[in-house]
Amino acid sequence: MAVKQFLHSKDLKALALSLPGALFIIFFLFLPLATIVIYSFWRTESYTMIADWNLNNYLTILTTKTYLTFLFRSLAMSLAVSFISLVYSWPVAYYIAKYGGRYRLILTMLTAAPFFTGILLRVTAMQQILGPIGVVNMFLSNIGLKPLHLLMYSHYATALGLIYLWIPFMVLAIYLSLLTFDFKLLDAAMINGASPLRAFWEVTLPLNWIGTCIGLALVFIPTFAATITPKFLGGVNGALYGNILAHQFGSTGTWALGSAMGVLMFTISSLFVFIVFKTVNLNRSGYTGQIAGE
Amino acid sequence: MDTNKFLYFFKDMQTSSYALQLVEVEKQFGDVRAVDNVSLEVKKGEFFALLGPSGSGKTTLLRIIAGLESAGKGSVFIGGKNVTQNPPYARGIGMVFQDFLLFPHKTVGENIAFPLKMKKMSPTHQQEQLNWVLDLVRMKGYEDRFPNQLSGGQKQRVALARGLVARPDILLLDEPLANLDRELRKEMEVEMRRFQAEIDIPFVYVTHNQEEALTLSNRIAVMKDGHFEQVGDKLELYDEPKTAFVASFLGLNNTISGEVLRQENDFSFIDWKGIELKIPTPNGIKPGDRIAYYLRSEKMHINPLGKNTPVDGSIVLAARLRDIIFKGQYSDYFVILDNDEEMVISDVPDIESLKIGGKVDVSWLPSSGFSFAADGEE
Repeated sequence: MAVKQFLHSKDLKALALSLPGALFIIFFLFLPLATIVIYSFWRTESYTMIADWNLNNYLTILTTKTYLTFLFRSLAMSLAVSFISLVYSWPVAYYIAKYGGRYRLILTMLTAAPFFTGILLRVTAMQQILGPIGVVNMFLSNIGLKPLHLLMYSHYATALGLIYLWIPFMVLAIYLSLLTFDFKLLDAAMINGASPLRAFWEVTLPLNWIGTCIGLALVFIPTFAATITPKFLGGVNGALYGNILAHQFGSTGTWALGSAMGVLMFTISSLFVFIVFKTVNLNRSGYTGQIAGE
Repeated sequence: MDTNKFLYFFKDMQTSSYALQLVEVEKQFGDVRAVDNVSLEVKKGEFFALLGPSGSGKTTLLRIIAGLESAGKGSVFIGGKNVTQNPPYARGIGMVFQDFLLFPHKTVGENIAFPLKMKKMSPTHQQEQLNWVLDLVRMKGYEDRFPNQLSGGQKQRVALARGLVARPDILLLDEPLANLDRELRKEMEVEMRRFQAEIDIPFVYVTHNQEEALTLSNRIAVMKDGHFEQVGDKLELYDEPKTAFVASFLGLNNTISGEVLRQENDFSFIDWKGIELKIPTPNGIKPGDRIAYYLRSEKMHINPLGKNTPVDGSIVLAARLRDIIFKGQYSDYFVILDNDEEMVISDVPDIESLKIGGKVDVSWLPSSGFSFAADGEE
């Protein structure tokens, strides 16, 4: 009887429903992460892992100037790329959500269209546009102007490539948030004396802040971990933290150090997401108005 | 046309005391003329209702006044100033929307003080105004709540408070009670009349509900297909409708139509599906024309068959009582006449002698109804 009751209980249903998600997180997040965390306290010698527990890997990263330079370079790059994507995506998402009408879905798909190809192809395409004999510089030299060195194998080129790569996520996150936004609230704001810009600041942005934060996280994280884009567009001196990290697992074979770098990367990304979502006040998100403790 | 413009200019100078003035306002959406050459004056302190069925253009007109929609032609004056080209935030208006449109991420206090904040009013002054309006709408103590913690009626009060807090030249209300249940609507009707009387800010109130318009306002404009059918004092509209539409839209009506058989003095006799009826003759109607006659249910009387002592000149018809709907102080009686047509009569309840299925006499004075030339719409 008790078994039958359990089989029909809500608990079982809830358990069954949560299982796929739980398994996914265990196998694809916790297990790999645990492995890396464990490795990061080990030592590599002649391409083999030696399990003597120490903090040397972390000391190396945090005291070697080269590693720190790459770390801060990547951090600056990620912040800049996230911010530029944010500013650029808002009008795009806003336009689609407000004026897209029945073409909304198609327009949204179009912003994601480059994803139909694959990251390597996309970065290579950017190379064809920005490089020394790329479309932009070819055009400039054809009309008798100097080529833009800025765009040739530089951090600017990398930034441009990364923005191009990840901006669809930002647009999509803001667009999805705007789908549930009641644009009529702007009528109310304007009637009550707010200019359109003020209405955006007072009403639109706060009510779509969660979506915007999701967009920021979705751009920051892959940018911070970028390897292919800086490799193809950044040139000789364009390496970022991700490239150095990948290097540890490649030719140098220092997996333990690489693991420590990975843990640091994960920690910083998590910290960024944490700080961004600290700015979300659920009471003021428009989703719930419950005063804490009530 | 030029003379007209001159006249309006002259009129402006004389009547800048109007809170709101519309001069030949038009709005076209594609092929549809949503607002068709509408002119209107609303005085200070007036409670004015724009009444019409859905699609009559009343909401569009309100949005033009608010500046949320541009006027295709014509001018809008608010507080004596021409604001036709002004955006909504530079018109000095307040507005209450059908779905309240409170800012969900702001507290009640912040919602209400929003217009003051936009005016960059000093915090002390803001607090003063906020206290005044919270008192007015009886929402003291709710300042720190969020809109989703309020009931429908409370949201309505907050929306009203936000519309009034900056003491606008005029408050626009777009079907503000449509989303409330009946009980609450009745309560808010009383409250709104009280607010309006206390603060002396003119209200322009859009509704499709004739009862609401009659209860709340001083004056009413009945709108149809983008134009005003009739504008006037509410009793005037009720007692002397100028068009068939106004007559049919206000009050609970019996609509009777038929061909004029003969005329006698001021009355015509029509053939109403086999019954000959005496009704007042509308202007320019000859025998052979069709007439529509609107008879208010409350102007009619019902009695058990033969027990009728009608007023002199009354029409008395025999009928069968089909149903009674008890409404409290009166009942609605649904009867079927000898020509199989149905009528509704609102009269005092009489449980003793009026029974469903019983034979009754229905009576009314011909002059208590309104007759118009039938324009083919039936």
